[in-house]
Amino acid sequence: MIRLLALVMILATGPAWAAQTRYALDPQGSTVGFAWDFGADEIKGNMPVAQADLALDFANLPNSTVTVAVDVTGAEAGFPFASQAMKGPRVLDAGQYPHITFVSSAIRRDGDGARIDGSITVRGVTRPMVLAAHLYRAEGSATADLSRLTVILTGALSRAAFGADGWSDLAGDEVRLNIRAVLRQVN
Amino acid sequence: MGVRNTPSSFGLVSRTIHWAMAAAILGMLPFGLWLEGQKIGLSNLWLYGLHKSIGMTLLALVLVRIVWHRISPPPHQLTQSIASWQIRAARWAHWALYLLMVLVPLSGWIGSAATGIDVTVWGLTLPSVWPQTEGWDKGGFAAHSILTKLLLAVVLLHFAGALHRAFVHRDRTLTRMIRG
Repeated sequence: MIRLLALVMILATGPAWAAQTRYALDPQGSTVGFAWDFGADEIKGNMPVAQADLALDFANLPNSTVTVAVDVTGAEAGFPFASQAMKGPRVLDAGQYPHITFVSSAIRRDGDGARIDGSITVRGVTRPMVLAAHLYRAEGSATADLSRLTVILTGALSRAAFGADGWSDLAGDEVRLNIRAVLRQVN
Repeated sequence: MGVRNTPSSFGLVSRTIHWAMAAAILGMLPFGLWLEGQKIGLSNLWLYGLHKSIGMTLLALVLVRIVWHRISPPPHQLTQSIASWQIRAARWAHWALYLLMVLVPLSGWIGSAATGIDVTVWGLTLPSVWPQTEGWDKGGFAAHSILTKLLLAVVLLHFAGALHRAFVHRDRTLTRMIRG
């Protein structure tokens, strides 16, 4: 459905996009996916996006900003018991902390993608985080048409670093993120 | 063959509950001890649900049994030519059995409920009966583990006593639980 958008090519085209372009997240097709270890099994879950604010400057990538909040209360961790445990007080404590937020602080090119440095806040604890980003445009769209994009973000975090280490005897510490964000240009 | 107990025999209800519980407990003790040593994963998650369902059914059965014995008291203990210490031991073993048949599933329920995760029995979600704290979770399961071993010991004692009555004293203690 989508075809790789050579970010390098876009960036190389230079000043045609000299300012930030604002994008809104299209919930249709966007998922905040994550994977965690349950014994020998890898379990996949997802969380709905509560809010996303993306301003991309393709000519000057460091001028881009990304702010995303996900809704912990709507999270699914793979199967019902795991979802309850994950949203409960020993892990994400969704009652007290209904959102996880990520705010970028620096974005730069990294190979054929980008590296996004930022900070993530989980259960009220803020820690630095790095996400790898790959950008794609919609299949069939013209090379210059950046009105609809898909961003794949990957990264990992430690539950213990945020005090979300409940059931550490059953569930692994590392949570691997695989976020697929479908973006629509808003200006 | 009466449904109710009489002063000298067990009725059908008491015997049915006794043997159903005996079979379930004899299955659950090794099953639970084995499960305790397993590493939980997707492939065996359903076994924990099965363990809880059988355990809560056993709790319901022992409560029914206690109520039934208030409605229809069990026959008197056979004491003829039995040493007094053995009579006392048998009484204590029965009290301990009933107490543990209540406490073992109850402690498991408390531990499970304290995790904050739904306790489901045969697909039905039970009400959350206990504060969701890690202390009660760990304490509940620790008590469950210890009480299970005590139950195993008392069950073995009860089993040995029943065989002793049947093959050494040759009285009707065991046969009246089989045939009434």
